[in-house]
Amino acid sequence: MDLLLKELPQQLVNGLTLGGVYALIAIGYTMVYGILGMLNFAHGEIYMIGGFTGWWVLHLLSRNHQVVMNAAVVIALMIVIAMGVSAFVGVLTERFAYRPLRNAPRINLLLSALGVSIFLQNLVLNYQGAKARVFYVHSLIPESVRLIHLGPVVITLTRLIVIAVTFLLMALLSIMIKRTKAGKAMRATAQDLEMATFLGIDVDRIIVLVFIIGSALGGAAGTLVGLLFTQVDYYVGFQAGLKGFTAAVLGGIGSIPGAMLGGIILGLAESLAVTFLPAAYKDVVAFVILVIILIVKPSGLLGEKIQEKV
Amino acid sequence: MTLTVGNGKRKAAFTAAVAAALIFLPHVMPNDYWLRIYLVTGIWVMLALGLNVVAGFAGLFDLSYVAFFGIGGYTFALLSSDQFGIHLPFLVVLPVAAFLTMGVGIALGSTSLRLKGDYLAIVTLAFAQIFKLLLLNLDTPVNITGGVNGIFGFDPINIFGLKIESPVGYAYLIWFFACLVTIGAYRLKMSRLGRGWESLREDELASEAVGVNTTRMKLMAFAIGAFVAGMAGVLFASLQDSVFPNNFDFPQLVIVYCMVILGGLGNIPGVIVGAILLSVLPEFLREYGAYRMMFYGLVLIVLMALRPQGILGEIGFLTRKKKRPDKDESGVLKASTDLYYAEGGEAPARKAPKVRYARTSRVLLEVEGLTQDFGGIRALSGLSFTLHEREILSIIGPNGAGKTTLFNLVSGIYRPTEGRILFEGRDITGLRPHAIVALGVARTFQNLRLFNKMSVLDNARVGRFCRTHAGPVSVLLHLPRHRREEMETQKKADEILGLFGGRLTGYRYHQQAMYLSYANRRRLEIARVLMTEPRLLLLDEPSAGMNPQETKEITAFIKHLRDAYGYTILLIEHKLNLVRRISDRVIALDYGVKIAEGRYREVANNEKVIEAYLGRKGHGKRAGIKI
Repeated sequence: MDLLLKELPQQLVNGLTLGGVYALIAIGYTMVYGILGMLNFAHGEIYMIGGFTGWWVLHLLSRNHQVVMNAAVVIALMIVIAMGVSAFVGVLTERFAYRPLRNAPRINLLLSALGVSIFLQNLVLNYQGAKARVFYVHSLIPESVRLIHLGPVVITLTRLIVIAVTFLLMALLSIMIKRTKAGKAMRATAQDLEMATFLGIDVDRIIVLVFIIGSALGGAAGTLVGLLFTQVDYYVGFQAGLKGFTAAVLGGIGSIPGAMLGGIILGLAESLAVTFLPAAYKDVVAFVILVIILIVKPSGLLGEKIQEKV
Repeated sequence: MTLTVGNGKRKAAFTAAVAAALIFLPHVMPNDYWLRIYLVTGIWVMLALGLNVVAGFAGLFDLSYVAFFGIGGYTFALLSSDQFGIHLPFLVVLPVAAFLTMGVGIALGSTSLRLKGDYLAIVTLAFAQIFKLLLLNLDTPVNITGGVNGIFGFDPINIFGLKIESPVGYAYLIWFFACLVTIGAYRLKMSRLGRGWESLREDELASEAVGVNTTRMKLMAFAIGAFVAGMAGVLFASLQDSVFPNNFDFPQLVIVYCMVILGGLGNIPGVIVGAILLSVLPEFLREYGAYRMMFYGLVLIVLMALRPQGILGEIGFLTRKKKRPDKDESGVLKASTDLYYAEGGEAPARKAPKVRYARTSRVLLEVEGLTQDFGGIRALSGLSFTLHEREILSIIGPNGAGKTTLFNLVSGIYRPTEGRILFEGRDITGLRPHAIVALGVARTFQNLRLFNKMSVLDNARVGRFCRTHAGPVSVLLHLPRHRREEMETQKKADEILGLFGGRLTGYRYHQQAMYLSYANRRRLEIARVLMTEPRLLLLDEPSAGMNPQETKEITAFIKHLRDAYGYTILLIEHKLNLVRRISDRVIALDYGVKIAEGRYREVANNEKVIEAYLGRKGHGKRAGIKI
């Protein structure tokens, strides 16, 4: 019990970090699902590509594992460029794999998404190899500030950065969706794509915008996780995709606040599970939550129950 | 369809050619390497055909398929090796493994099949992942699966003293089973089960509403797919004389999907060709082996974008040209109405029995205090009425009055918030739509829900689903029950479609429903529900979108259905002329409340009805116009 009390705040922080990342991934799933009604299988690979991009930026800006400029600038560049590259890949997949299938049966879209996922994964495998790439974060974060003590809790600076960036991005997205014209158009398109077209909204552009935002957030998550766990390989997208999807379903697929909430709950649940269970079962937690949610309340925590109009 | 359909002689010649090829092929392979590819191809063909039942016939995106393959393989490995010292004979292990896999498939299916397409994909994917984790980790504390090292060294196959050890022996064994699976796939496709799957893939709700138990059919597809995969797993394990976790991993799943997609979902010869192509082709591209999976990914994307029906799809020389009487020599389409009258109009429809039915006093349908809320909106509020046998009762009212909601409640698509529905004195409230159809209540849809890619004949035949009962065993073995039911179904389809004369018969039998004119699609929807032998017909705006001539015709037809055949009819209609001509009684709804009931005259002159249709008196110039 004593151990638990000591562990608990620590695991809460860990859970929040992980949860923020899951939330970023989940937003990509949920936005695409909200508008196109499709499960973007390839989203995990977009995340993976973000991780690789972050690694490359760090690699190119380092000499002998030492960064050549201000560490804060490097981290910012890593995240921004990863977001850009992921967004670009996301837009390409939309343009070539999903747009031609806009009116096709659902199973075709799913299969195409599966194809994109396999293609991207093996593209990276072929050109980046199967070995994990290691982020040399030591040069980014000096020894003196690596650990921050907050009462009984010890937080690494990387975790703090991850939490700060994820929550900043989520706040920006919320404002964008609520306050801007594009955000309004997005919400309209999500409710009724056809009607939005009739009202003069360029739906194709909105869909591209959704892929840009979702993929950019996924790419940011990839780089953040790279900083946190200091490595990335071609296969990380698979697990991350499943986690992100679970978070999205947990929160209610199609709902952006739901994705954020779902991500954070999933992150906390996993971290707490590790406190009680052997670490090997961490990944099973997500599956169990997913199956329970799907069976008990498929519409998720914040999702709306939709009845098919006859 | 395309390759084996033909007259008896062609079919016999084709069978002989296939048999000859299967006998000689193992002996003409250039070396052992190619013989092995030939063997593995047979296993892929089985796997692809099994997946085709799940993903192609029933349209279910099952990502745990490869785990079923693995369950078959590992079952054989555990029951026929030194692993546990169990040495059961092959002829026992094969069915045990197949049925066990089927059991797992049913268990997984029954928890996840309530979920819509994408969710099903994720749950099955998670199951496949858990299965692989188990294979990898169940070597401790007790060694069951052998972990990464797998299990090897199995008992040789021994069928009644006939030992199969040589590759040629395996070739005959594997392709024998591949042929069985092929024949089975054809028999399923050409049966009530095949039509049931196709309909649910096209439109699940409509399928349920014409009497197909969609949950059961999905589960059956899942089970049959798992059965075939389990069988293939046994053969694969025995052939390889070992099993490893990475034999049953994601790449194998993707390859089987590619085979099915390449051949065209649901297209049996296509899937076989797809499986053969993707087994043999990579052997010629071995130096590019690293790019193999990338290539499969691209195949999926490109095929989905450009040729979702698969490579065989509708290639000209394989599909025989059908004579189209609605096209003249220059290929110009003739209007179907002209053709219809040229053929003598609706003559067959008039050869009806002499009896004339009229409404009786026996109550058929009783609705008590029916209320339906959607969120804060009350679509129906305490509606009660009775419907007598052989009565035509029309429901009228402005848009949003709750007419279609009433139909959705009676046909079981929604469950009412309050109230009861009694059919022939039996409470049917809350029953699933297919069960209500089986009891004798069938409906059409306001916005037409035909199975567009199915032929006119098949659309009608699906309607017989709830009156036939042949199960998979009966269908696979062509037992007398299946054959009798198929004959009955055909006879009934001829009879019902014949009611519409040349509109739906003749060359139209084999036309896809999507090519019919709007009015003919409405007619086909009525024909489809008549096939279910309903006693109560719910017709939701049967004349919507029809021109005046067609409306006249359908009005006469609906009346004819009651007068000559004795159907009881509940009708939603906006064209009051039609309502006036055929209704025994009329109910008017407004905002979910019954505002008038009685003979047409009474209802049409009711103050409230006039108000509901035209607005309150004195609030507009047009108020007070007589209907």
